[in-house]
Amino acid sequence: MTETKAVSRKEFLKLGGATLAGAALLGGCGGGNQSSKGSKGPIQWQAIPTYSTEQNTDQQRVNYLNKAISNWENSSGWSIKPLVSSSDITAANAKLLQQASQGRAPDISQVDSYIFPRFFKYAQPLDDYLDGLSLSDWFPFARAHMVSGGKVLGLQFTTDVRALFYRKDLVSKPPKSWDEVLKVGKQLKGKVQTPFLFPAGRDEGTMTTTLLPYFWSQGGELTDASGKPAFGKGKNRDAMLSSLEFIQECVKSGITPKKATQYGIETDMDGDIASGSVGMFQGANFQVPLLQQITGNKFTSKWEVSIIPSKSGSNFVTSAGGQMWGVFTKDKKKQKASVDFLKAAFVGNKGMAGWCNVGGYLPVRKPVYNVPAYKGDKYTATFREFLQKYARNRPGVDSYQDISTALQVAVTQVVSGQKSPAQALDTAVKTVSG
Amino acid sequence: MSVKAARRRWIEALAGSPLPWLLPLALVLAFTFIYPIIEIIRLSFTNAGLTGGNYSYTARSYRLLFGSPYFSDMIKATVIFVFFSVIFQMLLGFVIALLVDQGAKRGMRASIVTRTAVLSAWAIPGVIIGIIWNILYQESAAGVLNYLLHALGFGSVPFLSDPGAALASVTVANIWRGTAFSMILLYAGIQTLPGDVLEAAKVDGASAWQRLTRVMLPLLAPIILINLVIVSIDTFNTFDMVLALTGGGPGRSTEVVALSIYDLIFQQFHLGQGAATAVLLLAINAIMTAIYLRLERTEEIT
Repeated sequence: MTETKAVSRKEFLKLGGATLAGAALLGGCGGGNQSSKGSKGPIQWQAIPTYSTEQNTDQQRVNYLNKAISNWENSSGWSIKPLVSSSDITAANAKLLQQASQGRAPDISQVDSYIFPRFFKYAQPLDDYLDGLSLSDWFPFARAHMVSGGKVLGLQFTTDVRALFYRKDLVSKPPKSWDEVLKVGKQLKGKVQTPFLFPAGRDEGTMTTTLLPYFWSQGGELTDASGKPAFGKGKNRDAMLSSLEFIQECVKSGITPKKATQYGIETDMDGDIASGSVGMFQGANFQVPLLQQITGNKFTSKWEVSIIPSKSGSNFVTSAGGQMWGVFTKDKKKQKASVDFLKAAFVGNKGMAGWCNVGGYLPVRKPVYNVPAYKGDKYTATFREFLQKYARNRPGVDSYQDISTALQVAVTQVVSGQKSPAQALDTAVKTVSG
Repeated sequence: MSVKAARRRWIEALAGSPLPWLLPLALVLAFTFIYPIIEIIRLSFTNAGLTGGNYSYTARSYRLLFGSPYFSDMIKATVIFVFFSVIFQMLLGFVIALLVDQGAKRGMRASIVTRTAVLSAWAIPGVIIGIIWNILYQESAAGVLNYLLHALGFGSVPFLSDPGAALASVTVANIWRGTAFSMILLYAGIQTLPGDVLEAAKVDGASAWQRLTRVMLPLLAPIILINLVIVSIDTFNTFDMVLALTGGGPGRSTEVVALSIYDLIFQQFHLGQGAATAVLLLAINAIMTAIYLRLERTEEIT
């Protein structure tokens, strides 16, 4: 009995071994030249929750990403290992910068486009892998933050743009100059509770949507060539001061309420806009899908867009942003595979159209606007024009965070009446000069 | 004496000593408390950034902190926020504790409901409280308080857009959040009061006010003082609720010390300056803790 049992165990092991060997052989033959899913190894892919398959509450986005990843994994033989960073994008970028400086950044990482120049030292050149994509496809403002020393170091895959939104039933001709804003705003008093609204709180929306378009359109620059704060000197100071004075005038004339200090980002204004109490507002394209949803698809039929007014009524500038992919692996094969994945899911015509559709973003490559799969909205053509003609990105210098905080505080002080524009500006200059 | 015997004696001495039992805890404390404190103090004397790279040792972070045009504003906002938060949290906590105690003595079920309701405020995370109060304070049509004021025929109140009102609004929200802790502590204290002393005072003809001020409060004094210190430390460290409610604005009118640390490190990436500000907060907390320990010792002696 014992002997029989020993023999059968041996036989079983032999049989098992032969089966495994046979399966391996058959697998090898059956695969031909194509690798099976994940056989070439994993590629780390890090994104913030809303751009990731992890911790993402938007099922539509997750479905898109899962499908794109799965398709690419099946065709490439690589596997994608998703990593998620913090939803606080500024903190997430800071942590990534720290990782990159220590050589620990994931193979592919998402970076806010305006911060990307700070990653130039660590991001790997991608020129050799861009076949099928032309650098001239990207809008000029995006190229400025993707390329350094003649090399493509990042791939921007979404963008956004700021504009003046106005109620077409109340405003027949949108204001182009600051004087016109004040004039139209005064005409709207009595017709709506808030004639003119813009973000003026402690967050980036105050910079990108309110202050920077005013400042840049007068030729102002935040920093000098070496990246040091320069907004308090010479003609830059004049431009900043007149921008703050215009903001103050909007409040003093009663067309903009002091409660604007509670609105640090563009979407903070959505409640007021949806309630029908606003006549004009400076906002961003990404507000449109949500406003459509909360107004029962009435937003686009009531509102039109125009360029953000400038002091003179000409030389318009608006701000754009968006997200970038950086590749940090030094393994050449992984670099090629990483770019291949990014093209399939986010950067190529089909990938960018698909991701912009589910996320409500604007494509940052011009040909994507002509891809049938890309579904824009009523304003897409106008936004595209603004991106091409007037858009700028925030400077990607180390001092920007200090400058931004100091100027956000200055705007809230002016709007709340704590300080005069000159006092607020002087304090901001003193704060950043340390 | 042989080596073997000496070793045995050493092992026996060690087995009788509390050292082997305390050592793991000491190591945990050293790694989780002492090391981070030393590291914060070290970083405060550097120009390190959160984004890595080289740094050097300097006192510049402290010069920037004390020379900042907003230093006095930050201290002023913090002192006002802490002072009024602590006073009202303790006052309201005491009143609620008294009411709950009296309710319980009379067999009222509402006292349990009150206790649970007050405790729920304490259990909600600070960020959520910030968002809830933000909805209450909104000046738009969505603002609950302004809606009620309008319904009563009053005008809008700029709860969050006026610098003075914003600090008051943030303080009120924090009082709402922290009253429960004082209530729990003082309610526990009231339960320990000797019933015969209170009864004797009543028999001697002391009025309710006299019993409160001349009997209860002196007996509760040690707990009130400890409550004061704990609530003060807790309020000095509050930043999550303020961040969600005002983000420190308008201007820097509600930027308390703890929020300034967060802002310097995670928004502006200045690890050195943030650490210097954290050392300032650490010093304040250390003073509070020293007072707490001293009071605890006094209580033990008495």
